[in-house]
Amino acid sequence: MTAATLDPHGHQLIPARSRGPIRRMLLGPGFIRAAWMFCLFGAIGFGLVIVFRWWGGWHPLFDMQPITLVSLLVAGPLGFLAGIGAFDYWTRYAIGSPTQPEDHSGHGARTWRDYFRVNTDHKVIGVQYLVTTIFFFIAGGFLAMLVRVQLARPGTHFFDPQTYNGLFSVHASLMIFLFVIPAFAGLANFVVPLMLGAPDMAFPRLNALSFWLLPIAGIMMLTSFVVPGGAFACGWTGYAPLCSTHQPLGAIFFNQGVQWAGASSIMTALNFLVTIITMRAPGMTFWRMPLLVWANFTTSLLVVIATPFIAGSQFFSMFDHVMHTAFFDTNNGGYPLGYQHIFWFYSHPAVYIMMLPGFGIMSEVISVFSRKPIFGYRLMALSLMAIVVLGFSVWAHHMFTSGMSSWLRVPMMVTTLLIAVPTGIKIFSWLATMWEGKLHFNTPMLFALGFLSMFVIGGLSGVMLGAVPIDIHVTDTYFIVAHLHYVLFGGSVFTIFAGIYYWYPKMTGRMYDERLGKLHFWLTFVGFNLTFFPMHLLGTEGMPRRVADYAPKFADLNMFISLASFGLGASVLVFLYNAITSWKNGPIAPSNPWRALTLEWQVTSPPPIFNFDEIPQVVGSPYEYGVPGAQHAILAPSPAREVEEVVT
Amino acid sequence: MRRGSIASLLGIGVVAGGVAAAVALAIPWMPISASKEAGRIDFVFWFVVTICIVIFAVVAAAILYSVVRFRAAPDDDSDGPPIHGHTGLEIAWTLIPTVLVTAIGIVSAIVLSRDDAIAKNALHIQVIAQQFTWTFKYPDAHGLTSATLVLPNGREAVLDFQSKDVIHAFFVPEFRENMDVVPGLTTTINVTPTRVGTYPVICNELCGLGHATMRSTAQVMTPTAFDKWLKGQSKAVASPNPATAGAAVFKNNGCAACHTLAAASATGKVGPDLDKLPAEAQQAKQPLASFVRTSITDPNAYVAPGYPKNVMPATFGKAIPKQQLDALVSYLINSSK
Repeated sequence: MTAATLDPHGHQLIPARSRGPIRRMLLGPGFIRAAWMFCLFGAIGFGLVIVFRWWGGWHPLFDMQPITLVSLLVAGPLGFLAGIGAFDYWTRYAIGSPTQPEDHSGHGARTWRDYFRVNTDHKVIGVQYLVTTIFFFIAGGFLAMLVRVQLARPGTHFFDPQTYNGLFSVHASLMIFLFVIPAFAGLANFVVPLMLGAPDMAFPRLNALSFWLLPIAGIMMLTSFVVPGGAFACGWTGYAPLCSTHQPLGAIFFNQGVQWAGASSIMTALNFLVTIITMRAPGMTFWRMPLLVWANFTTSLLVVIATPFIAGSQFFSMFDHVMHTAFFDTNNGGYPLGYQHIFWFYSHPAVYIMMLPGFGIMSEVISVFSRKPIFGYRLMALSLMAIVVLGFSVWAHHMFTSGMSSWLRVPMMVTTLLIAVPTGIKIFSWLATMWEGKLHFNTPMLFALGFLSMFVIGGLSGVMLGAVPIDIHVTDTYFIVAHLHYVLFGGSVFTIFAGIYYWYPKMTGRMYDERLGKLHFWLTFVGFNLTFFPMHLLGTEGMPRRVADYAPKFADLNMFISLASFGLGASVLVFLYNAITSWKNGPIAPSNPWRALTLEWQVTSPPPIFNFDEIPQVVGSPYEYGVPGAQHAILAPSPAREVEEVVT
Repeated sequence: MRRGSIASLLGIGVVAGGVAAAVALAIPWMPISASKEAGRIDFVFWFVVTICIVIFAVVAAAILYSVVRFRAAPDDDSDGPPIHGHTGLEIAWTLIPTVLVTAIGIVSAIVLSRDDAIAKNALHIQVIAQQFTWTFKYPDAHGLTSATLVLPNGREAVLDFQSKDVIHAFFVPEFRENMDVVPGLTTTINVTPTRVGTYPVICNELCGLGHATMRSTAQVMTPTAFDKWLKGQSKAVASPNPATAGAAVFKNNGCAACHTLAAASATGKVGPDLDKLPAEAQQAKQPLASFVRTSITDPNAYVAPGYPKNVMPATFGKAIPKQQLDALVSYLINSSK
């Protein structure tokens, strides 16, 4: 028996037979097995298509569309997942071979290599999520820079229309499906079990699978640039019939990429729901949960209910494209507006999927750095629920000018305007939380304040858009581009940065550089406003969105915006430098650098492998700053730290 | 809360609101208004902007005041006062926004119903959108077609939109009108021009490669000039001189949106350059006349290298009457020599 067959705990890995190193490399879970299984499954998919086309007498036998879809976009990725080891435990169980005793060898990170394999530790998965999403954030940001290069001057130059339309389509898809939504899932993955006093998520293997679906989706969307005909070029909204019948092969890379990302979202959300409902520590009642947990509870409800709708819309669109069905083809009885209704029935709630977790982060950060209890805790939690319920009744405000039944406009306008009320409650409650507090302006707090001011502007332009007469004038113009960046960048991205800086010490065990953090904030804040505020004016003046060319009268403003956007892009470099160098060389982080009360700060940084040696007993609210003698939870005096030292 | 803090809070609020109001007033946010509907929409715009400025001022004042007044000293490790909430305040900031947004909803609904009302003497115009041109048909003038929208000033026009391929959108910023043009549906807007002039017609829904160049113009004329234009147009298309008729057909069917043709001052770049037609015909190994005709009626029969298939609509063969098609073909042959 060699040492290589032992896991770090000293358990024997393969009790039945021992294998040579080469065989193990080829057959053991990992990237090598993933590579050959990707090819194998891809070949099987290819063969299936050919056999069925030959059998059915279809011509031509080699049709690129079904071959690409089945072989490259479905079977291949399944092979990759099987190869990387995401299905190992279930496969063994399903085929009746003896399951391995759980030795926790696939849990936790002992070396950096453990971040590059299927890992069931929610903390490792959280970091995997964040690093992956930041990669796609940079890729998406780079595409945005290219868009701004084209728009710096009027006239068609640099990119042909297909490439240009592909640039902004992939930019939006990456930012939405591969950055904002999963970055929140990553932060919550790391933090929620800790905050609940739980050792892990309810379904750790499902959790690992949800993560590994994500790179598949991202790579699929990015590689659509290299397929013949170019990337999908119909916007991230993929309206039919443009996307379903008038697009090159790249369109199905979008349809199918959304499916993988959506499946990942749904699995994670189910996992959060079960974890939050069943794995709260004793004494952690719903009304004692930190608002971040509330935020992820409500977000998960939205994801589970809404995401199947976008899956449906993309399947229909893809069927029209590949199989020549006619869901949205009017020549054969299809209904193009049907696509928009199904799409927005997901994609409006998706706006809240991209915002509620940020609200949760804000409640933590603002309360801790103001040294005050959150103002109106119960109304804060209830307003989240109100947004969930109302969020499902506003989707058609994206369609005021779409030609849908015109009577539908006024009721959808009323619900849209009303959803500003719970959002307003949250803003005012954060302001009241800061009132008379002891404000500390560390980087997370700066991003929180940036969020508050920018999100108010985005929210108010949202109220303007909610009023149908105004929407009629500015819909599909740069006003929309300005509005959506104020809520998704000024809103979501600022809260993601606040969350990353806030939990950075807990995740890495190191402190980030505060001066660089502040520099990053100011560059982002200034660059953001210079880039996106002038877009309001372009929009009201009548410059449409999604165009490669525009009227000469908009030239100066567009040049200004392009220059500002390059500055905004450069600000991300400061963040990257800070995050990478601090991870290597930053000062060692104490357990609780922010003197916060929530549970994740009561354990070491980074936390022990199963979070708590003994499940804590929760005895009070998580926000009792300034209340003498108040306690959130009682923890066993921590032998965790000693164990941690032994392991490292 | 002390009186001094209320005074300084108010002061910051007034300054923040003043700055926002200055930004709102100093910058010409809206293009000129050229229709009755635009006036009403502008009213809603400024009504909502006023409410937004007040709310922005309140929030900005609270943030700025807190940042300055409640900043903790670096060595201050103490906590703030343990305030958990205030029911009165929470009710207030639930009710006041509810009232404000309800007011916005009511004003908007009234404006919407006014703008949707159709007058009796309205002029009906059919608008056909296809990749990447606009065609405007005047049923009252024996189905006259035009590539530009021409409207008489002061008379309400009802535009009925139809699309031949994908979703487009009709947008004239000066009219504050915006409506999707959806295949399989007829969508409608009404517009009452109030100002003589020429305004851009913009396709406002991503419709493919030529989306950015899918433009036309809306020309508002005095009623007498409009009647004169109607007569002149009908005459040009039916002209026995193929050059006049062909040029009118070329113009009215929006060929210039995608093609370059020096004789018609057309500079479109989506499709092949029509000044080079003879060379193209040679490359396709076809006689010029039949090449030009087939390329219009069945564009996928031969696609010039470097251009994608299925971009040029295959519908012109049916849409253009034979006599006009003949004129167009001979016009193209003569112009490209």
